[in-house]
Amino acid sequence: MKIFSLTVLGFWLLAVIAGRLLDLHGNDVDLNSVLANPSWQHWFGADDLGRDILARVLRGAEVSFIVAVVVAIVTMTIGVTVGLLAGFYGGKIDKILMQITDIFLAFPGILLAIAFAAVLGPGIINLMLALCLTGWVSYARLTRGQAMSLRQRQHVLAAESIGAKPLRIMLRHIFPLLSSILIVEATYSLASIMIAEASLSFLGLGIQAPNASWGAMLRDAVRYMLVAPHYVLIVGVSLMSLILAINLGGDYLRDKLDIASSINEK
Amino acid sequence: MYRHFLLLLVALPCVMLTVGCQPTSVEKEAVRFAIAQAPLNLDPRYATDAASERVNRLIYQRLVEFDDHSKPVPGIASWKNLGDQNYQFTLKQNLAPFHDGQLLSADDVKATYESLQQLPDSPHAAEFANIRAIQIINHYTLEFKLKQVDPHFASKLIIGILPKSLIAQQHDFVHQPVGNGVFKFDSWNNTLTLERIDDGQQVTFIEVKDPTVRVLKLMRGEADLLQGDLPPELIQYMQTKPRIKVATTQGANYSYLGLNMQDPILAKHKVRQALAYAIDRQALIDAVMVDHTRLADAILPPEHYAGNPLLKAYTYQPALAKQLLEEAGVALPLKLVYKTSTDAQRVRLATILQAQMKAAGIALEIRSLDWGTFFAEVKKGKFQLYGLTWVGIKTPEIYSKVFGTTYIPPNGFNRGRYSDLALDEMLRQEDWQAVTARIHEQLPYIPLWYEGQAAAMRQHIVGYRPKADGNWDDLKTIKRAKGQLQ
Repeated sequence: MKIFSLTVLGFWLLAVIAGRLLDLHGNDVDLNSVLANPSWQHWFGADDLGRDILARVLRGAEVSFIVAVVVAIVTMTIGVTVGLLAGFYGGKIDKILMQITDIFLAFPGILLAIAFAAVLGPGIINLMLALCLTGWVSYARLTRGQAMSLRQRQHVLAAESIGAKPLRIMLRHIFPLLSSILIVEATYSLASIMIAEASLSFLGLGIQAPNASWGAMLRDAVRYMLVAPHYVLIVGVSLMSLILAINLGGDYLRDKLDIASSINEK
Repeated sequence: MYRHFLLLLVALPCVMLTVGCQPTSVEKEAVRFAIAQAPLNLDPRYATDAASERVNRLIYQRLVEFDDHSKPVPGIASWKNLGDQNYQFTLKQNLAPFHDGQLLSADDVKATYESLQQLPDSPHAAEFANIRAIQIINHYTLEFKLKQVDPHFASKLIIGILPKSLIAQQHDFVHQPVGNGVFKFDSWNNTLTLERIDDGQQVTFIEVKDPTVRVLKLMRGEADLLQGDLPPELIQYMQTKPRIKVATTQGANYSYLGLNMQDPILAKHKVRQALAYAIDRQALIDAVMVDHTRLADAILPPEHYAGNPLLKAYTYQPALAKQLLEEAGVALPLKLVYKTSTDAQRVRLATILQAQMKAAGIALEIRSLDWGTFFAEVKKGKFQLYGLTWVGIKTPEIYSKVFGTTYIPPNGFNRGRYSDLALDEMLRQEDWQAVTARIHEQLPYIPLWYEGQAAAMRQHIVGYRPKADGNWDDLKTIKRAKGQLQ
């Protein structure tokens, strides 16, 4: 499983890099190759506009990578900041911040993202904004809980007693202890961001034509399931294996970074 | 004991096989018609969506119909002009009675059109605001007296006739229609079922939005008939299936690119010409359109009595398009925004147009919006370019409503805010040849094509062919062949 996960993730990163370096023509319409089967000219076949599916899968990998990484970083930053402030200070600040968090938590994430994309208009930037708007909540809850418990630790109290500033305590004495748990959370959120991006693009609210995204490609491919099954299979299997690999990677990291469980195993 | 069991083991499959092979007549079973969008409103005074209008043609009868050249011809009544503002209609003898048993008379016609005038929320009411009075002459004859001269008045009388007594009772025609058409209403729960009066043949309309699912239902025998809203690849796929028949025919529904004539760039004639020369319509039709799709040059096709077969088609000449843009003094690449709905085929067409226009120095940005937002923005004039189709247009009055200076929404459909005094004069004179030539030259619309119509059906369905405007009139004569259930 570890090998599968690493292989798929390796391919994904390779695809992202290849998409950048190679001179791909994934948007070139060729009306003579509409829904062409895989061949030497088109290794993965051609889509409903005669565009090379391989080139578009590579381009789509890049889009999913950018969206996943940017959204994960932004949501983590917002979520960890909110969680640290709430957990460290407690009291009124905690109450206010957590109530705001609860309001966002009450919204069904994908629905809010759809509403947001519908108001702001479709497009990659708006898609990322919509996903950021709802994605930070889980980090905030997680960080807040951990920070509250770490706040009472001896080393934090010691730092406080010698006059360390709150910002320093948060960044130097609490945050490092949170990092392993946040890395695991980030890997899971990467997978859910990619699914959300694919879903929004599938609904036509994400990446706009002619740019490639796996979700949008899947939407188009489903229409031609009967006449060109290779199209839906290639895109579907790519998306499924990547999400599976990221989730397995998350499990692996959790096992490695979670000291308690690794001690128990020994 | 074992012997009995063995006997049972051998006998049971044989019995099952014999029962399974019994010829089962499918003659009287309902014809299941899978459609992309279910009808919304079966009251002809309110219906505007294509599915409702097509179903209403089966349930109700109209005073006026159209022939193959879209000329108005007598439906259930013939007419004569008694002066510029007076039309006399005489109902045919021996008309079919209403489905509730009452006979159709001039009173019902009067009641239908008077009720229409009194319905403020009816989208058709404005069409009949010109009626001053409706006078009954006798049981079969009545006169429409108009406020103003309208030479096309007869061709507007295409609203299905309702029984007077039920109108008075404010009957719910929306959900329980009563007309005197070939089909009577049977039930409408999740699916709408109609029954043919002559032979009791039922037709059930099943809404299946996804085209692939619709095709799968036809192939599995869960539907008998499909028409329209199918990508050409699926039609070609069905042509290869032995139990499915596919019929295609020329269409008359006009697809076009609408331009905003108030946009400073698109107001330039040369830019519009460049757009027309930047699209390879024939290549597009050959690659991704249904068979029998043909190039269009005007809203009404050449076979229409107001059609113009002499218009010279704009061909794909990207170099000329680029030259025209340079002559117009616009910076290349020319950036334009093209709005369309999220419908997959529409986005597909937009992407092809984008690729073709790139060669002419036009950078087309596609914005696919959900239907409600898209259509609202088109009506408000918030666009540079958009793509739509005119469906079921019969009368040349459409040219006034779409291009006349006084027909800017909400008064008409001049969504591009086009104003051309020379054209207005031609419209007033109803010189349709000059009108179509002027529009073709000025290009407030970039003409695309008339999409072919296609229907697919199981082998046992006979007597059904798609029609140019996509109507379902052949359901009146459709038959299930005698045979076995597949």
